[in-house]
Amino acid sequence: MTEGNRGRVKDMLGLRGLSREQLTRILDTAANFRQVNERRIKKVPTLRGRTVVTAFFENSTRTRLSFELAAKRLSADTLSFSASTSSTAKGETLLDTARNLDAMRPDAVIVRHPASGAPHLLARHFPWTVINAGDGINEHPTQALLDMLTMRDHLGDLEGRTVAIVGDVLHSRVARSNIFGLQTLGAKVEVAGPGTMCPPALAELGVTVRHRIDEVVERADVIMMLRIQRERLGKAMMSTTQEYAALYGLDEARLRRARPEVLVMHPGPINRGVEISPEVADGPNSVILEQVSNGLALRMALMYLLLGDEGGSDAAA
Amino acid sequence: MLRLEGARVLCPATGVDDLLDVVLDGARIEGLYPPGAGPAGEALDCAGLVIAPAFVDLACQLCDPGFPWREDLHSGSRAGAAGGFATLVAAPATSPVVDRAAVVDHLVRRGAEAPGARVAVSGALTVGLLGLELAELGALADAGCCAFADGSRPVSDAGVLRRALEYARPFGLPVIVRPGEPALEQEGVMHEGVVSLSVGLRGLPEAAEEVGVTRVVALARATGARVHLSHVTTARAVAVIEGARREGVAVSAAVPARHLLLTDAAVAESAYDTRFRLMPPLRPERDRRALIEAVRSGVIDVVAPDHVPLGRVEKEIEFQYAEPGAVGLESAFAATLTALDGDLALTVRRLSLGPAAVLGQLARVAPGARADLVLIDPGAEGPCPAPRWSRGCNEPLQGRTLRGRVVRTLVGGVDRFPR
Repeated sequence: MTEGNRGRVKDMLGLRGLSREQLTRILDTAANFRQVNERRIKKVPTLRGRTVVTAFFENSTRTRLSFELAAKRLSADTLSFSASTSSTAKGETLLDTARNLDAMRPDAVIVRHPASGAPHLLARHFPWTVINAGDGINEHPTQALLDMLTMRDHLGDLEGRTVAIVGDVLHSRVARSNIFGLQTLGAKVEVAGPGTMCPPALAELGVTVRHRIDEVVERADVIMMLRIQRERLGKAMMSTTQEYAALYGLDEARLRRARPEVLVMHPGPINRGVEISPEVADGPNSVILEQVSNGLALRMALMYLLLGDEGGSDAAA
Repeated sequence: MLRLEGARVLCPATGVDDLLDVVLDGARIEGLYPPGAGPAGEALDCAGLVIAPAFVDLACQLCDPGFPWREDLHSGSRAGAAGGFATLVAAPATSPVVDRAAVVDHLVRRGAEAPGARVAVSGALTVGLLGLELAELGALADAGCCAFADGSRPVSDAGVLRRALEYARPFGLPVIVRPGEPALEQEGVMHEGVVSLSVGLRGLPEAAEEVGVTRVVALARATGARVHLSHVTTARAVAVIEGARREGVAVSAAVPARHLLLTDAAVAESAYDTRFRLMPPLRPERDRRALIEAVRSGVIDVVAPDHVPLGRVEKEIEFQYAEPGAVGLESAFAATLTALDGDLALTVRRLSLGPAAVLGQLARVAPGARADLVLIDPGAEGPCPAPRWSRGCNEPLQGRTLRGRVVRTLVGGVDRFPR
């Protein structure tokens, strides 16, 4: 997070560098917001009169819906902008696009962008709150926060727990945010995947690097599977999808070696039969849909802390 | 006759380091005299300053013709003189590329009118700098090129590079190449390591430079060509060069001055500030230390400004889309002196003697020598300013405290320091 005027936390750019207190405050607030979503009238007036823009320079359905619904349930006015329907295709720079958004006097802009650091560029140039909804291969902080909220629901305190992340950790913004956040909360992170996607250098981020999924499955409290898309990977990053599924896919046989109460997570969208088998995705250990509903509460909490009047000065700090 | 009075004359080539008056006769140095002993004439008070041979840049992006929003001969020449440079060798990566004699003619003619540092021209090693076909190196040499060079993208085909070095050798000019391996550099936008992992930017492995240096060194040995490596930034590349030198391979090497001060941590600390988007990228602390050691030992004989001016449209965008490069002419001297802990003699060796030697010249303050001189205030200290004379906006050292300041630059006996 970066600080704006008066020491108030202005933006949510990533989990790198956030303190345990900051993370815990966000998660606690999100837990409280869940009950709003259980009511018959699922709306609170917290952000009435405020304007929240979702500016997505990369395709996304669920993250954008989640943010928009979260803003609406806080009574904010929402506006959505996406690159495919905008002028960026004509070569306008990000800052020029943002200057046009700025002229509409938004209070917060939710940004998804294919370039790492794009939200940071906006946060540096504009007074409004920037929330990173995924930047390049850098971070996806709200996804990791909702993952941690889901883990906390089942495991309580995450101190000393072991979370396995399996797949293309090197190029995953979900994995990167989880690595930073989970370690701050005292959890141990183990990653597994092909040598191209889990290079030994990842150990410098504090994680344990393994190359066989069975090594991490057995002692994990949580197994987080990442989406693999061969067509989106660089040259020679993997062999075949079949070999990937055989070496790193999570199926029932593998899951039997895990702790009976292990949580199976996935940021979605899932590739059934590739990184996760249908039986596991739909099975009793899967909390994939809980992640989605927690995402809504988490994003409401975050906007409340960053924008709400009660939040104010050191709300998220 | 012009007498420069009261300065400390520092000439590493002759070993002179003393308080002496330097008397100029037109474009040449007439003689050095004990204070007050020389022939009468117009005098310039230089008390408290150091007079040294002016600096030489072997690979300067003057961006002319083709990229006037970045730089042109006029602005680049003035930026050079402001930084203590008397000679700038213009890189061939212009539009059109300097791959035929007509373009060299044009640059030589326009360069003669440059108001600051002298502009020399390097010709493209391959047509269009594409690394596929040899340019007319003979015609380029006849037209006045002082070196041959490749572009920002190294010649990746070792077969072409071998033939280019063989073909270039009889013309007697040095071949300037940036060592690298494009297949390994591809998507990288910063040094691959813990910082790139942490900030989520695609990394460029250090092996890319090592592979490039190894290939160039092997081919330099095989062909006997004189090769200058324009950008050496890793400890591993330094080790390869050291080995080659021991065997007598004719290869010289330069490091960008800023790589002696900055590390890849700057990308994280600045939250993706595009002034730190460079090629080659900034390296970790262990490489920075090894580079300083190599500059001290002489394995690296040149410290370069690595001047790559860029406009706001190329830098005020997302980090990975930004053009790599930084301005360097106006800050290179102070950056080098600061990195070398104020060792002025070594700084002059690496900024003047080293690059001059690559061009087959002797940089010295001695009777009969060309009066290319820099006047330095070595005691000055302050924050590195934004570029003043260059059109480039991209100075990664801006705001950092640097030691030393260039006060005047004499090019062929004429004070060309811009005011």
